[in-house]
Amino acid sequence: MSHKGTSTFIAMRASSVLLLPLVVWFIWSVTAHAGASAAETRVWLSSPVTAVLFALLIAVSAYHMRIGLNEVIDDYIYSSARGVLKALNALAAILVAGLGFYSAYLLAFAG
Amino acid sequence: MADAPPAARPLSPHLQIWGWTASMAASITNRATGVALYGGTILLAAWFFAAALGPDAYAPVGAIVGSWFGRIVLFGFAWALIFHTLNGLRHLYWDTGRGLAPKTASMTAWATYAASFILTLIVVLAANGAAS
Repeated sequence: MSHKGTSTFIAMRASSVLLLPLVVWFIWSVTAHAGASAAETRVWLSSPVTAVLFALLIAVSAYHMRIGLNEVIDDYIYSSARGVLKALNALAAILVAGLGFYSAYLLAFAG
Repeated sequence: MADAPPAARPLSPHLQIWGWTASMAASITNRATGVALYGGTILLAAWFFAAALGPDAYAPVGAIVGSWFGRIVLFGFAWALIFHTLNGLRHLYWDTGRGLAPKTASMTAWATYAASFILTLIVVLAANGAAS
């Protein structure tokens, strides 16, 4: 993250502000559907609004957590493993975000 | 030079030297919940994907979520998410240049812990109410 301190700082704050309404909606929505059967869960998640909000929550979380874990790696890893761990971190974030978008597509738009 | 024993000079103070403060505990908890939520987000994406694949893929995942083990994980996920979100608000407030005095920061740290437990309890009660 060298030479990119300011943009990383802003990206962390911007993603946290985006996550605030998404997290409030997520906790409310999951709580309201506690105990739902598999069929009820599918109906809930297949609504386009729910599917898109889930995909956005997962994608913005992936972006935010990648920056956060990079910070942890910078703080504690001094060896050459640092670069490998950061690459794995980026890969994990991309996979998680992609899985969220693909799942939302399958649930709400592929039928 | 290379054979000289290391000088017995003092090292910079680390965790074991400082007395505990609420803001220090909140900072450590923020990082711990952040790392835990990394795992939680992977689990959330896996659950969402299983639901998207269909009933056969969702059945075992739904069974784990409904088990006592799944409920403990969900409870931890809820508390970590609520704590990290509330402490994130604290950070955004600090970014405006306010609330940084030690007494204020300590007070908001205690408030963040208290609010995170109360909100988690409300979520658990609401979820149990919705499930029954």
